Amino acid sequence: MIQWNADLARRLHCREEEKKRLGPIIKRLMDLDRKARAEGFLSLESELPSIDDPLLAVGVRLVMEGVSGEALEEILATYLLIEERSGWPFLKTCVTIEGLLALAESDDPALMARKLLPYFGADKALAALEEIEKAQDDRNAE
Amino acid sequence: MIKAIVEASRDRLDTRKVSRQKKDALFELAARVGIIAEQSRSSSMAIARAAASERRKALKVGLELVAAGAEVEALDRGFSASIERPSSDPGAELEWMLVRSGMRGLAAYEHFSVIMRRMTAFLGPDYFDKAEDWLMYRTKRRKSRPESLVVPGELPDVIRILAMDKRNLERALRASGRDMAAAALAGCPQESMDLARPLYGKIGAAALEDDAAQLRSRLSGDEIAQAQSAFLEVVRSLEERGELRLGPEDELSADPAFVAALTKTVLGVDAALIKSVFRGAEGALVATAMQGMEPEAHDHILGSLSKREIKRILDAIDYSDPLPRRAVQGAGKLLASRLFEAAAAAKAPRPILEHLAAIRDWAT
Repeated sequence: MIQWNADLARRLHCREEEKKRLGPIIKRLMDLDRKARAEGFLSLESELPSIDDPLLAVGVRLVMEGVSGEALEEILATYLLIEERSGWPFLKTCVTIEGLLALAESDDPALMARKLLPYFGADKALAALEEIEKAQDDRNAE
Repeated sequence: MIKAIVEASRDRLDTRKVSRQKKDALFELAARVGIIAEQSRSSSMAIARAAASERRKALKVGLELVAAGAEVEALDRGFSASIERPSSDPGAELEWMLVRSGMRGLAAYEHFSVIMRRMTAFLGPDYFDKAEDWLMYRTKRRKSRPESLVVPGELPDVIRILAMDKRNLERALRASGRDMAAAALAGCPQESMDLARPLYGKIGAAALEDDAAQLRSRLSGDEIAQAQSAFLEVVRSLEERGELRLGPEDELSADPAFVAALTKTVLGVDAALIKSVFRGAEGALVATAMQGMEPEAHDHILGSLSKREIKRILDAIDYSDPLPRRAVQGAGKLLASRLFEAAAAAKAPRPILEHLAAIRDWAT
């Protein structure tokens, strides 16, 4: 359930060009999800060296261990709590955490995308969804 | 937006002013709590003993609250009321939050690995590897207690079928979450645990096994059966969404042709014959076979039996979960075989014998 408040909305606010950078992050999360579903969660180990974001790396390792549900939510949110972030870094972290929670539940990548796209903002989410679906169609065509 | 993010964003904490030395000390404190959590699994007095000998005020109060049986929300309130959050001292404030989080995990019976992860998260990603090393060491030292309590049900069969393609079993386990999976596995034979464990890595596997062992002694048989039903519900939901790659014989839905043929055959069998065969048949077998029949066949069977037999069969149905196609067909074929023998001995009409033989020899 969405539980917004004014302070949160303020901290999530960032420039449009920054929001465009969400696309690759969401795509990366979807790729990890796809790999976990196809090859097993422990196969994500091979992805760790290429993950630059420390939170994403930590989150993937927690997911591999099987930490799930509220415990995973609280642990990831703690990493958010201990650093004063706002604007783009905060938005990026929120998207990463929500993506990791979807990964832990082995969500279908399309469902994961639908959970993450609202972070683009209502007006941009549809266009971003179309872009991701087009990329998926291209992948299927290959 | 997930709830924990909203709470975390409200509950800000600036750890940049906390020294490395303080963080190292807090890591040791988290490790102490991890050991207490591990010991509490085998000794109910471990937390009270730790509280009695603890010198750090926040941890002592937290342990006392957990030892007194406080649940998570009551613990939060009690902890905040007993010790004011020291917001003017970043190090003390970090300790306050770290201890409160650990106590929440302890009160929720979390595995020591999860408690360690949640506490060391306050120290930042830099401490993740250090926690990993500590957990690997503890995991190697821990004593595995392979034992099983088998709650009657079909989950072990379903797990065996899912494990034929590990992706299926993994998807079911992940979609359920490790807590539910552990509760469901608590009522399964060791074989089921052995199939699930390798999907989590060393630390996760140890947590799954320890949690199942603990839940086996903490939950009642009914509660474990409920967890198993919930797990099977997840499996069915995944199957309905096309998320599992099952062969036709492993699908949970029955083969419509088999259901129609079995129903027609059962309706054609004399009530006395049904009574003679079903009276001695195992309840679980009948309940499973009846998953492959239409309701009118159920009525015909139950209408042929005594009240006592009806109760026995209905109880077995209550305890049964939806089964894979191969199990339902196997039970139907076995009962048809027994009916065939009884019908042949009673010199039943040839068409009845042919129908029963057709079910008995149904190709799967």
